[in-house]
Amino acid sequence: MAASADTYARPAFDRTLLLVVPAAVFMLLLFVYPFLYGLQLSFRPKEGGLLWNYIHFFTTDNLWPTIGITLKLALPATLINVGLALPIAYKMRVKTRYQRVVTTLLVVPITLGTVLIAEGMLLYFGPKGWLSHFLQLIHLYDGPIRLTHNYWGVLISLVISGFPFAFLLILSYITGIDPVLARAAATLGAGPGAQFRHIYLPLLAPGLAMCFCLAFVQAFSVFPSAVLLGAPAGPTRVISIAAYEAAFEQYDYSLASAIAMVMGFVQLVIVAAVLGMRRVFYRGPVSGGKG
Amino acid sequence: MKHDFSELKLDRVTRRFAGAGGKAFNALDELSLTVKRGEFIALLGPSGCGKSTALNCIAGLLGLSGGSIWLDDERLDTLPPEQRGFGMVFQNYALFPHMSVERNVGFGLRMRGASTAAIAPKVERALAMVQLAGQAHKLPGQLSGGQQQRVAIARAIVIEPPLVLMDEPLSNLDAKLRIETRAEIRRIHRELDRATIYVTHDQDEALSLADRIVVMKDGAVQQIAAPPEVYGQPANLAVARFMGYRNVLDLEVSGRDGGEVSLSGGGIALRGVAMQPIEGRRAAVAIRPEEFTVGAPEGANTIAGRVDNVEYSGRDALLDLVTASGTVLHVRGPVSIRRGDEVRVHVPPERVLVYRPD
Ligand SMILES: Nc1ncnc2c1ncn2[C@@H]1O[C@H](COP(=O)(O)OP(=O)(O)OP(=O)(O)O)[C@@H](O)[C@H]1O
Ligand SMILES: [Mg+2]
Repeated sequence: MAASADTYARPAFDRTLLLVVPAAVFMLLLFVYPFLYGLQLSFRPKEGGLLWNYIHFFTTDNLWPTIGITLKLALPATLINVGLALPIAYKMRVKTRYQRVVTTLLVVPITLGTVLIAEGMLLYFGPKGWLSHFLQLIHLYDGPIRLTHNYWGVLISLVISGFPFAFLLILSYITGIDPVLARAAATLGAGPGAQFRHIYLPLLAPGLAMCFCLAFVQAFSVFPSAVLLGAPAGPTRVISIAAYEAAFEQYDYSLASAIAMVMGFVQLVIVAAVLGMRRVFYRGPVSGGKG
Repeated sequence: MKHDFSELKLDRVTRRFAGAGGKAFNALDELSLTVKRGEFIALLGPSGCGKSTALNCIAGLLGLSGGSIWLDDERLDTLPPEQRGFGMVFQNYALFPHMSVERNVGFGLRMRGASTAAIAPKVERALAMVQLAGQAHKLPGQLSGGQQQRVAIARAIVIEPPLVLMDEPLSNLDAKLRIETRAEIRRIHRELDRATIYVTHDQDEALSLADRIVVMKDGAVQQIAAPPEVYGQPANLAVARFMGYRNVLDLEVSGRDGGEVSLSGGGIALRGVAMQPIEGRRAAVAIRPEEFTVGAPEGANTIAGRVDNVEYSGRDALLDLVTASGTVLHVRGPVSIRRGDEVRVHVPPERVLVYRPD
């Protein structure tokens, strides 16, 4: 390897590589160091042996189920976000007069913080909120409506805050696909549905996988809305709440680190699985032209 | 979508675009044309004259701003492209990057619901036709530009459409392959026995392939005629310029005799044939460089000048001849002539075409 033929052709050192240095330092200081610190901290429990924290997590009844609870929130939320963003972004791919307006409207939630969204939702979806009042007014549904302080509240808030990211990401992937490909498919007899299935979907698949990962990681680390809109003691006791409690209520940083490591590992497994699927699809330039 | 038809009729097909400053302009202006079954039509014109626009309108990829399109008595311009079923070769290929060559070519057949067993031999034959037999399993990104172009041709013809539309399908091929593929396209056209509309800006291609040529300029049709007529009797000055009449001189009309016109100006006196009614006092003459005979004796329709530039082109040379008054003529002559030589050239009156000036 070291003495391959093109070693001679290349200059000894590519100085543009220096441009990476600030980012590398940044990563080192803000990510790698805290990660490694947390990792070793998780193996130094207050009591017991090396793996005590991990054993404790997986044997305590209010800790290990948080993985399932979080997945039960994050996976549907991600699926809804990606699944909803795809058709809407597909409709928005051609420039129309409304494209700008609709895009802006859909993206507004990004600028709102999670807390603001939670507050708005409490007002709107709460037991004394407008939705409840309205439904009772028109006698569509007279029972009590519980869309806050439970699972649904958190799920809705995850959709509201996560959708714009998924939408923007997918929109940028879709507009990167040369529309002449769909036109070529049309001249060959493909109707709108077939154009989507045979042209857009396969070319979008890697992007969708990427989008799914990002949206999932974002949803998996849900914290504020789980507390504000959910039932943090029970059904929406997500993994980040468990970590928070360990760190700031029991002051057991070692356990908190272990929980954070578990959290990271679960995310990694899902992301790796999805990105692994990406291999199946075509990845390359998405244009059919010369070049 | 029918395969048996007798003619395709374009009736004043018009397409407007929003131009600079929001002002609409006609990229295609009232194109009327009837294409008979078996005919090969070439759309010829300079870049930006609306050739691709015309093709896209016929294929259904662009809506019409006016006019209508008929296949026999079926109105087509209201149908989406997938229901017109015309095969199209795109100017930039538009191959599906995620499908192998084989799947690209088979796509149209799959969309028509053909079985895998029926598709394979057809695809194979189409690929053999465009000399790509060994490349079936490659992705388009792994092919050269010329190979991609041939995949695009194979993909369009394999569905045996009533009408094949080709947008400069040979632009990326080398000279040898271009001539071979040209012959191949002509042969495929004969074999399918349908109709072909072929867009090009190369007059040689149009002349050698087409049964009829449609010459366009700025969205408007200038002339529709068989190749010898477009070549020998351009309908107007714009067509003449485009068809290689490189010498266009603006002269004064000194006499008329039926179809013959005498003109003079700048020390040049010429007799020629009027291609349009000439009313004004001035007219333009158009002459091809190869119509001149170099080294003629003094007489009618001769021009004397000094050779200012010699461009060698193999069998002969292209000379720039400057007359005493400073007019520059482009003349084909023997390669023995050197820069600075004084020569006299002759052109027969029937090869001096006289047009209204533009
Ligand atoms: N989508 C569009 N919007 C606005 N103007 C357009 C559009 N498409 C084409 N035009 C204009 O219409 C005119 C004709 O374009 P067209 O693509 O038909 O040219 P062409 O004859 O195919 O040229 P070329 O030989 O370079 O391919 C051009 O002036 C072009 O700028
Ligand atoms: Mg074009």
